[in-house]
Amino acid sequence: MNRTTESYIEIINLSKSFGSHKVLDNINLTVNRGEVVAIIGPSGSGKSTLLRCLNFLTRSESGEIKFQNRSWSLNSEGKRYKGKKYEKSLSELRSEVGMVFQNFNVFPHKTAVQNVELGLIKVRKMTKNSAREIAIKKLEQVGLGDKINQYPDKLSGGQKQRVAIARALALEPRVMLFDEVTSSLDPELVGGILEEIRRLANTGITMLVVTHEMGFAFQVAHRIVFMDSGKIVEVGTPDEIRNSQEPRTRAFLSAIL
Amino acid sequence: MGNSKSFFEFEAVVSSWDILLKGFAVAMFAATLATALAIILGLVVALMRLSTVAIYRWIAFAFTQFFRGVPLYVLLVWVYFGLAIAVNINLSAILAGVITLALLNAGYLSETFRSGILAIDSGQIEAGLALGLSKQVVFKEIVLPQAFRIVIPPMGNQYVDAIKDSAILSIIGVPELMRESQQLANLYYQPFEFYTCAGLLYLIAVVLVSRGTNKLEKRFYTHSAQN
Amino acid sequence: MMSNSNYKFDWNVIEKYWPEILKGLIITIQISLAGMAFSILLGICLANGKLSNNLLIVRISSSITELFRSIPLFVLLFWIYYGFSLKFNFALTEFEAGVLALGITGGAYMAEVFRAGLLAVPIGQLEAAYAIGLSKMQSSMFIIFPQAIRIIIPPMVNIYIGLLKGATIVSVIGVSDMIYVARYVSLETFAPFELYSLVGIIFISLTLSISGFVYLLERKLGRSKVDG
Repeated sequence: MNRTTESYIEIINLSKSFGSHKVLDNINLTVNRGEVVAIIGPSGSGKSTLLRCLNFLTRSESGEIKFQNRSWSLNSEGKRYKGKKYEKSLSELRSEVGMVFQNFNVFPHKTAVQNVELGLIKVRKMTKNSAREIAIKKLEQVGLGDKINQYPDKLSGGQKQRVAIARALALEPRVMLFDEVTSSLDPELVGGILEEIRRLANTGITMLVVTHEMGFAFQVAHRIVFMDSGKIVEVGTPDEIRNSQEPRTRAFLSAIL
Repeated sequence: MGNSKSFFEFEAVVSSWDILLKGFAVAMFAATLATALAIILGLVVALMRLSTVAIYRWIAFAFTQFFRGVPLYVLLVWVYFGLAIAVNINLSAILAGVITLALLNAGYLSETFRSGILAIDSGQIEAGLALGLSKQVVFKEIVLPQAFRIVIPPMGNQYVDAIKDSAILSIIGVPELMRESQQLANLYYQPFEFYTCAGLLYLIAVVLVSRGTNKLEKRFYTHSAQN
Repeated sequence: MMSNSNYKFDWNVIEKYWPEILKGLIITIQISLAGMAFSILLGICLANGKLSNNLLIVRISSSITELFRSIPLFVLLFWIYYGFSLKFNFALTEFEAGVLALGITGGAYMAEVFRAGLLAVPIGQLEAAYAIGLSKMQSSMFIIFPQAIRIIIPPMVNIYIGLLKGATIVSVIGVSDMIYVARYVSLETFAPFELYSLVGIIFISLTLSISGFVYLLERKLGRSKVDG
C-alpha cells in the first residue's frame, strides 16, 4: 500500500441546506493520497450528500473543496466559481473522480461494453477500437468477461453494479467514490461487490466509501468518519472508532453491530 | 357494364384506380413530410420549454398552447386565404397544407417530447456527468435514446392523426385522396362507392402505421428496460 | 413570395359581423355537444362489448372501435351525408350528418376511456357490492360508476375538445356554423384574414379555458382521491 501523508482532497467549512434543513453543517475533512476512508452514520446524516459534493453533482452553498491544492469552489479572488465555462471545466475533475451509485445507473440502452467505453471515447477521446480493448479488459477484471455484449436488463443487480464499477475504473480515476453501492443488492450478492471494492482498496487508489456494511468498513478503511445530523462527529482509525468514548458514536455502533 | 345494374357499382372505382392511388400518394407524402417537420420543430420547442432561459420557455409555452388550441381547418384557411391577402404570401396549396399540419403536430409532439425527456431517471444523467461527459453528450448519448423509446407510441399516434387530418387539405384544393374522391364521386355520381373506397385506403394506411409503430417499440423495448 | 404590403387590419368587418359569427359559434357548440352525447352512448356500448365474457362480442366491439378510429372524420362526414344517405335513401339533414360523424369518431375514443375507467376500479369493490346483496345493475350504478367517473372525466373533456375542433369541418356539407359564416362573410367583404383571425381567437380561448378547467378538475379529483 502506498499511502502517503500528502493531503490530496481538502474539504473546508462545507455547508449545504435543502430548504431550511441543514444537510451538511460546516464539514472539514482532509484525505491523503492512497487513503481509504469509510463514511458511516445513520440514514439522513448527510453522508451521501457529502460524497456527491465532491464531484459537484450536488453544489454546496458555502465552503471549499480542493484537489491537490487546486480549489474547485473558489477562484483566486475567493469568489465562488459559476457560469458555463466553470461547468465545462468540471468534466475534467469528474473524469478524475470515479463514482459508483446505489442504484447502479447503468445505461439501459447500451451493452455492458458500450457502457464502459462511452467515457473513454467521449471524454478521453480514444478511438473506438482502443476504447473497446480497454473496456473488455476492465469487464474481465470484474468477472464479466462473458457478458460484454449483454444489455443491462439481462444482468443481475450484482452484475450491473460490476459494470458500473468497470465503467468508472476505465477512465483510470485518481479517486473513487462509492455511494452505498450494496444497498440495492440482494443479500447474496453483497459479498461479491464488497470483494471487488476490497481488491481495489489494495491497489492504492484514493477512496471514499459511504456504507452501511460496518464489518467491511472496519476491515478495509484506513480511517472512519462518523457523521450525524449533517456534522462530522468523529474521525479516526477503525480501532479508535471501535473504542470511542463519544456517546453518539457508541450508540450508533451498539445499535448496528 | 350490362343492362342490369347492381346495387353497388364498383366499376367506376376500379377504372379510376390510378387517380385514387395518386391521390393516396399525395396524402401520404403530405402527412409524412408534415410529421417529419413536426418532429424536428417539436423537439426544438420541447428543448426551449426545458431551457433555463425564461424567454425561451415562454415562447415555447405559447407555441404549444396556440397550436394545440386552434383547429386545423381554421388554421388552414387562415394561412391559405388569410395570410395570402394580409401579408401577400402566396403559398401553393400543398405547401400551405404541409406547413399547417406540421405546426399543429409540432404543438402536440413538443409536449410528448418534453414529458419523454422528463421521464428519464435523474440518476442516468448524474452517472453520465460523473464520468466527465459534457451536458450535451449526456443529452445526446443518454437522455435522447432512452426518451426516444418512450415517445415511439405517441409519435406513431401523431403520424396516424396527420394521415387522417390530411383529408382536410382537400378544402384548399390539394389533389390528395379525398379531393380526388370528391371529384370522381361527382363525376360518376357514385359518392357511396368512392367515399367507401377512400375510407378503406385511409384504414389500410392507419393500420399499417400502427403495426409498424408496435414493431418499432418492441425492438427498442428489449434494449432499454430500466435498471 | 412575400412582398411589402401595407395591409391594414379592418376592424370594421369584425365590428359589423361579430354577432353573425357568434350565431355560428352557437351552432358549432350545439353540434359538438350533440356529437358528444352520441359519443358517450356509443362509447358505453363499445366499452361494455369489449369487457364482455363472450369472445365474439369482444372481437366485434374491438374491430368496430378500430375501424371508427381509423377513418378520418372528414371522410366519414362525406360518406354519411353524400354516400350512405343517397345509397340507402336515408334523408339526413346536414346537422344530423355532422352529429353522426362526430359521434362515431368520438365514440371510438370514448370506448377506450370508459374501458380504462371501469377496469381501474378494483375487483374487490364489485365483490363487496355483490356481498351486500346488490344486483349487477345496482353494483354498476352505485359502486363502480361513481368511482370510475373521476378517472373518466379528464380524458372525456379532452375528447370533447377534439370534437369541438372537429366540428369546424361540418361547414363543408353546409351546416351554418362559425366557419361557414366566416367564409360567406369573407366572400362578401373580401376580408378573410380578419374573419378567420377572429374565429381562431374565439376557438383558442374556448379550448384553452376548457383545458384549464380540466387541469383544475384533475387536481381536485386527484386530491379527493387521496383524501378518500
